[in-house]
Amino acid sequence: MQIYLPIAELPVSILTILAMGAAVGFLSGMFGIGGGFLMTPLLIFLGIPPTVAVGTQTTQVVASSVTGALAHFTRKSIDFKMGSVLLAGGVIGSISGIYLFKLLAAIGQIDLVISVVYVAFLSVIGAMMMVESVQAIRAARGGRATPRRKHHSWIHGLPFKMRFRRSKLYISVIPPVLVGYFVGTLSAIMGVGGGFIMIPAMIYLLRMPTNVVIGTSFFQIVFVAGLTGVMHSVENQAVDIVLGFLLVIGGVIGAQYGVRAAEKMPAEQLRALLAAILLLIGLRLGYDLVSTPPDLYSVIEAEPHS
Amino acid sequence: MMLRAAAVIVALLIAALPARADQLVTDLSEHQIAIRSNFTGTEILLFGAVEAARPGSRALNRDIVVVVQGPSRPMTVRRKEQMAAIWVNHDSVTYPSVPGYYAIASTRPLEVTADAETLKALRIGIENIDPGTPTARAIDGTLQILPPDEERAFWKALIRNKRREGLYINVPGGVTFLGQTLFRATVDIPANVPVGLYTAKVYLLQNGEIIDTISSPLYIDKRGVERFLYRMAHEDSLLYGLIAVFVAAFAGWLASAVMSRR
Repeated sequence: MQIYLPIAELPVSILTILAMGAAVGFLSGMFGIGGGFLMTPLLIFLGIPPTVAVGTQTTQVVASSVTGALAHFTRKSIDFKMGSVLLAGGVIGSISGIYLFKLLAAIGQIDLVISVVYVAFLSVIGAMMMVESVQAIRAARGGRATPRRKHHSWIHGLPFKMRFRRSKLYISVIPPVLVGYFVGTLSAIMGVGGGFIMIPAMIYLLRMPTNVVIGTSFFQIVFVAGLTGVMHSVENQAVDIVLGFLLVIGGVIGAQYGVRAAEKMPAEQLRALLAAILLLIGLRLGYDLVSTPPDLYSVIEAEPHS
Repeated sequence: MMLRAAAVIVALLIAALPARADQLVTDLSEHQIAIRSNFTGTEILLFGAVEAARPGSRALNRDIVVVVQGPSRPMTVRRKEQMAAIWVNHDSVTYPSVPGYYAIASTRPLEVTADAETLKALRIGIENIDPGTPTARAIDGTLQILPPDEERAFWKALIRNKRREGLYINVPGGVTFLGQTLFRATVDIPANVPVGLYTAKVYLLQNGEIIDTISSPLYIDKRGVERFLYRMAHEDSLLYGLIAVFVAAFAGWLASAVMSRR
């Protein structure tokens, strides 16, 4: 069954979109991730214009992060103070990201930048996760303890310190604001929540306790993705409500099964699997960047004033 | 059914017309195409008749050419070049007025219908579209002047891309005569068609000379929910964005409410 998307201006199969939403939702429930970085490339492969894919994807991120944040709210595993500091950075990052997006679209380089940023992040994070999980699997087999992370002391030398009771931290607000800013910019350009960047940053850089990291990142993502979605609507008219709705429905259903499936799999193997998926998507996008395109020329409707 | 009704209308129109030179009488099966949520493309039927000046005379070398053209907009063609192994959009050429849709159908291939100058002067044929004066830009946005053959390559690429998308169509033999006077042509309207005011022009040619031309409007627009959402996204984009985000947030809340009940 086909449905015509009013903003993307093309017909798509409802079942394909629902299945994609469900598949990404399944992985997102399984790995506890937003899934935006999986969905945006899939939408682009399907022929949705990259601008619309990124803009629309923010609605799916809002839906899945609201579910995640609510679950962590009931478990009281959100550091609201840290979340707000991250959010402050995220808001500025999102706004500047939207304008960067617009500028890149105007000079014709947005598709390239989206692809390059995706390839860079997917391959780096995928490789890091793969190495870490393989080491952990080996260590578990060999009976050795996993190596302890080293301490970052330069963070403690920065000014504007603030006390975060929930995270048991007394650190400068500069690193979390910067982390938030960076993730907000990525959210606007990539259509992702940015949890896959923020969570490692919170653990390794800010040294937050792991039990509050995921809830706090969901809390930040709800608002940053919401703002990004509204901004993409206002500035680029790039949010397709019909596409977003279908993705959300598929995602919500898929996530339920993903959560259950994850309970049956050991955490380290799960992480290795996610790393493999990230690397595969990164490779595919990277191949598209370097392989000779079938037609070197592309046509796009120009802005009437430029 | 549609054809028979058309034939009756055409017959009535012929009867009402005074007979001088050969004249055209045409109409479209639809003057409005609505893009709704189930739109996956359609086709329109153009039909008509040639009202002969001297009834009974057998027409030789008579051709019908049908051109359906969509609204014109400025369009940019970009060419990728390999920079440090990566393919990057490099030079670009912007044309101020490019039809978003152009379909041409004729009784015989265009080359045998009329000579190249006539076709060029009348802008009949995909190769003869006039896109206005192009402006070429380098990767950094500065204006540059391209040699004519390079510029030609950009224009050819535009046509190639539009053909691939099914938006530029050329159907030699797409117009068929039913007997001596009646003719018909079907024109494909793909799903990715731009909205706006279209014109369907019919040319009657005799021995390569244009004898008569007739033009009818065709309006393609989004309707119903599609129209409502599209207009809202463009005119009330703040409200639209807020609704999109709140609906998503609500779905997320609903999911967690359902999950926690289990």
